[in-house]
Amino acid sequence: MSDGHEVHHVSVRGTGVRILRQGSGEPLVFLHGAGDRGEWLRVLAGLAADWAVCRPDHPGFNQSDDDERIDSVHDLAFFYLDLLDALELPRVTLVGASLGGWLAAEIAVLDPVRVAALVLIDAAGLRVADAPGPDVFTLNPVQLAELLFHDQALRSAAIEQAAGLDQSPEELRNYLRNRIATSHLAWNPYFHDPKLAERLHRVTAPTVVVWGSEDRLLPVAHAQRWQELIEDARIELIAGAGHLPHIEQPERVVEIVRSVRREELLA
Amino acid sequence: MRIFGFHLMPYPHVPDEALGDTSWVTISNALYDPELGHALYGRYLDEFELYDRTGFDGISVNEHHQTIYGQIPSPNVMAALLVQRVKAKIALLGNAIALREHPLRVAEEVALLDVVSGGRIICGFVRGIGAEYHSFSIDPTSSRERFFEAHDLIIKAWTEPGPWEWYGKHYKLRYVNPWPQPYQQPHPPIWSPSQGSNETVEWAASNRYTYLHTYSDIPTVRRVFGEFRAACERNGYEASREQLGWAMPIFVADSDEEARRIAAPQLETLFNRLIRMPRDVFFPAGYTTLDGMARVMAGKSGLGTSVQRFDEMAEKGYFIVGSADTVRQRLEALHAEMGFGTLMGSFQFGYLGHEDFASSVQLFADKVLPALRPLGEPLASTAAA
Repeated sequence: MSDGHEVHHVSVRGTGVRILRQGSGEPLVFLHGAGDRGEWLRVLAGLAADWAVCRPDHPGFNQSDDDERIDSVHDLAFFYLDLLDALELPRVTLVGASLGGWLAAEIAVLDPVRVAALVLIDAAGLRVADAPGPDVFTLNPVQLAELLFHDQALRSAAIEQAAGLDQSPEELRNYLRNRIATSHLAWNPYFHDPKLAERLHRVTAPTVVVWGSEDRLLPVAHAQRWQELIEDARIELIAGAGHLPHIEQPERVVEIVRSVRREELLA
Repeated sequence: MRIFGFHLMPYPHVPDEALGDTSWVTISNALYDPELGHALYGRYLDEFELYDRTGFDGISVNEHHQTIYGQIPSPNVMAALLVQRVKAKIALLGNAIALREHPLRVAEEVALLDVVSGGRIICGFVRGIGAEYHSFSIDPTSSRERFFEAHDLIIKAWTEPGPWEWYGKHYKLRYVNPWPQPYQQPHPPIWSPSQGSNETVEWAASNRYTYLHTYSDIPTVRRVFGEFRAACERNGYEASREQLGWAMPIFVADSDEEARRIAAPQLETLFNRLIRMPRDVFFPAGYTTLDGMARVMAGKSGLGTSVQRFDEMAEKGYFIVGSADTVRQRLEALHAEMGFGTLMGSFQFGYLGHEDFASSVQLFADKVLPALRPLGEPLASTAAA
């Protein structure tokens, strides 16, 4: 226990997964992004006021095991169906950020009735030809930190953390392991699945596309593409946030997720 | 000792001010001039012939992609241009099999060259450098797996009569049955060019391949040769001299001063300009093991990512530059200490001009090579080396 959340370890088809949990009520699964270091974020604590929040480390990331059977986000989505079965969660609200947003969309395509509501935060997964964004695999940790945040204080802190990575063997190894896992999932095709766009019509859950207006990794044009492909999806633009609005403006993101729940109940 | 001549075929016509932080992957090919390229290939092919004419045991070609560093996208195509122009052995060092979509094409092409040449082909296998995983958008985290699987498939394709099936993780083939088959039996000698990762050293030793250490300082070469010998012993045999190979730039002139004057700027060009790229391009995530990556990140500097000066590199032994006497004595001393039986000299490096290249090769062939050739014991016979 720390900050009120619990740490669980479960084994899914032989792969150990670390899960952070807090709150009670309807289940909400938060799917983290590529650079997420596995911390209990403020946005998670905020969501835990209304939901039973479950935040796993993906296989290959942070404190979960590697799983050599997973070669794509599509494979990872199948793994998550097994994980949800293991946790006995037949129906969940899915909130996914960046790489986790892509994963959330893949799960919603594979098993639409399982998803009560879908929240995509600056989600990877689509190719938008005229808004490709930079190639993060060519960037060093400091260059990446510069691009992630819009808020000056958060950006400075991220740059400082990135610049000091080589001073902390443990943090460096975690950064590299996450980067290896991300490369394996997203190197080619670059952060997208060309089949996904053709399958998103299967999503039935109320869907909100949350986007930082100043995202420099995945420009806002991606949000518009998600909206075009998922029926009745709406966009919530977060002014003054970069690629990680759930870290830059967690209260605002919690408020939006709450609003989706109201829509879900009305639906 | 057997002595080979190597050539990268660099592209020297890009002005310094056009080079940004990289000479790889994204350096625009708008800078390429095909008319200059035509003349350049003509000159470079002649330079390969010079190695042959002056008595080298072999020549060596390789592959690199999307870079001014080297203009040979396929070692097999370059070898095809040379196979009837030279009489010496041709070392393909190597085919970057992990970058090829289809390993059987490598099996076919190398067998073709081996048959046409009457068995003069040496076959190197490499993974390709990290930058090339960007150039081909091939997942670097699968590089080692792809390399080992492609290697196993090619060797089996050369040694087990087809047709048969192959259902591996990365390659799935209903019919493996390539024609032609190699001239040399069971297959051409396999070499493993490397910078000395534990994994490659162990792999080369366990397969009894020739291990060729490329472009390093002497302490590294000394350490890795020791590790290779130990790996051979673990595998139940003693490494032959010819199984230990060393690739390095070499330049010979009439005097030490003259050699240094000509070679220094070109070697600095090679190590600082032609191998320049951001660290995350040079070492994409997963291209090496997690431990290897952590060492690179903690190291902060090294080839490709920091400026190297001639004197410093000369002291560390990245290359040998001097009069014929100096170069001969240096190689004799290194041989006496380390006992390697394969020498791969890069007499072309940086933007070295043709006259300087030709005179260096001629001096080496006349005054150094004859003294080196008898060095070492009679070549031991090993099955695959």
